[in-house]
Amino acid sequence: MRFPFQNTTKESLVALAMLLPSLIFLTAFTYWPILRSLYFSFHDVMLGSDKIYFLGWENYERVLTDGLFWKSFRNTAFYTLITIPVAIVCALLLAVALDTKIKGVSLYRSAFFYPVMIPSVAAGMVWVFLYAPGYGPINGMMDALGLPKLEWLYSSDWALPAIMVMSIWKYSGYFMLILLAALQLVPRDLYEAAKLDGVSTWHQLIHITVPLISPTIYFVVIIGILHSYQIFDYVFVMTQGGPADATNVLTLYIYQNAFQYQDIGFASTVANMLLLFICILIGLIAATLGRRVHYLGR
Amino acid sequence: MKQSMFKKYGLHAILFPVAILWIGPLIWILVTSVKTRVEVFDSNSGLLPQNFIWDNYPAAMSVAPFGTYMMNSFMVTGGILICQIVTISLAAYAFARIKFPFKNVIFSLFLLQIMFPIYAIFLTNFITVRELGLMNSLPAMIVPFVASGYGTFMLRQAFMQVPSELSDAAKLDGCGHFSTLWHVYLPLVRPTLIAFAIISVVTHWNDYMWPLLVTNSESVRTLPIGLGLLAKSDSGADWTRLMAATVIVISPLLLLFVIFQRRFVDSFMHAGLK
Repeated sequence: MRFPFQNTTKESLVALAMLLPSLIFLTAFTYWPILRSLYFSFHDVMLGSDKIYFLGWENYERVLTDGLFWKSFRNTAFYTLITIPVAIVCALLLAVALDTKIKGVSLYRSAFFYPVMIPSVAAGMVWVFLYAPGYGPINGMMDALGLPKLEWLYSSDWALPAIMVMSIWKYSGYFMLILLAALQLVPRDLYEAAKLDGVSTWHQLIHITVPLISPTIYFVVIIGILHSYQIFDYVFVMTQGGPADATNVLTLYIYQNAFQYQDIGFASTVANMLLLFICILIGLIAATLGRRVHYLGR
Repeated sequence: MKQSMFKKYGLHAILFPVAILWIGPLIWILVTSVKTRVEVFDSNSGLLPQNFIWDNYPAAMSVAPFGTYMMNSFMVTGGILICQIVTISLAAYAFARIKFPFKNVIFSLFLLQIMFPIYAIFLTNFITVRELGLMNSLPAMIVPFVASGYGTFMLRQAFMQVPSELSDAAKLDGCGHFSTLWHVYLPLVRPTLIAFAIISVVTHWNDYMWPLLVTNSESVRTLPIGLGLLAKSDSGADWTRLMAATVIVISPLLLLFVIFQRRFVDSFMHAGLK
């Protein structure tokens, strides 16, 4: 004879046992670091030293008046806010083109998707070569098209856009696949009906396809923002933040403060600002895009 | 008639050049790895090399211990995957099939990890790993990724689609939660497990920032770190050898991708949608 109360307690204990392995590691490597980063930001902490001094808001005051912080913040925001939308539009156009019965669909799909398989360090390195001002093929192509040759990664105007172009090459195929999966669920008869009414392909895309796959577009936007953190790898390999900090981004700035200047307190403060930026960005997207999302059949 | 002619070739006319642009970097890697150094810097030498030079490959292999790197990459990626499969199966089952207090709160705590990847919290994790005495070891590259909010989410969705009659039947047969998970649930969600495994392997095989921070000797470095070091020491002087090394580093995953193309594409396509 078992009482329901005992039963649920026992069930809860089983659940706890099953969650425990994950919770231990999440606590140690996600929650604890976030809390600790908050704690460090109010203190003077040096890498490899046990001494900690309370500073109050001093680190935050320093961050807000630090020119280089704002420069890397602008670069991070510029990179994220341009690269992700452009990559998603590219991905959407490719997905729509490949959601047809043309020959060689799987070859095309692989051609656009393979950059996802390439390690960021290898991708960054190859593009350094492609962008090389003297002998790189990109300047070779510019020359052949009658366009002026550029200094690319050595120019403070072009270095960040150059990295953004590479990122679009790297991620569009990934976004394309996710969008392609959503497109395959759109009922074909909707297009047939639109075609009978004489709706152009472009209007079909804007008024039928995009609204119907909007939950997936929303999902891809979030994934894109989280992937944009990876710019650290590219900047670290391709430019080290240069020339003249034109490609310095928040993650690299955290790295420099922590490991070159050993200032853990200040680096933690910058890290918290980055977390805040990402939270605000995702919150804004959830409040605007997320609300407009059109769910099929709901 | 004209319309269908356009349909047949028009799309190719647009897609084909774009596809060529997209695979350009890969072709460039392959072609450069069999060129001579002189050809690289001569802009008049054309795309293809005069003769195919294979010497760059042994040269790349001899300048850095790529065998060790590959072994380390294998151990780290495999270690992460095995640990993740254990933690996410258990947690996803609890979320999908057991009633317990604060379930939604705990579930959102799991999802929090997706929003704060290692790139955002590497600094304090670095300090934790150092305090644990794990610096410069293979476990240092594994521990931050043992739990996966994303994997738990994916697997929970799959578990919820398993008809509950199946688990009720298992219960009647005297199966506890653990044996139901093992004998009923896991075999049924194999496609989702494989999809998660592929995404996890691709992510962690290619990881750069975290292994860079926690390693400082050849014996524990992974392939991407080794390649980065070689690039730095060469500093653009020897592109042919560097591109040969790049081919060595990128080929394991690309070969798997070519062989299991359908599985890879399906995994990335349906990740997060089910």
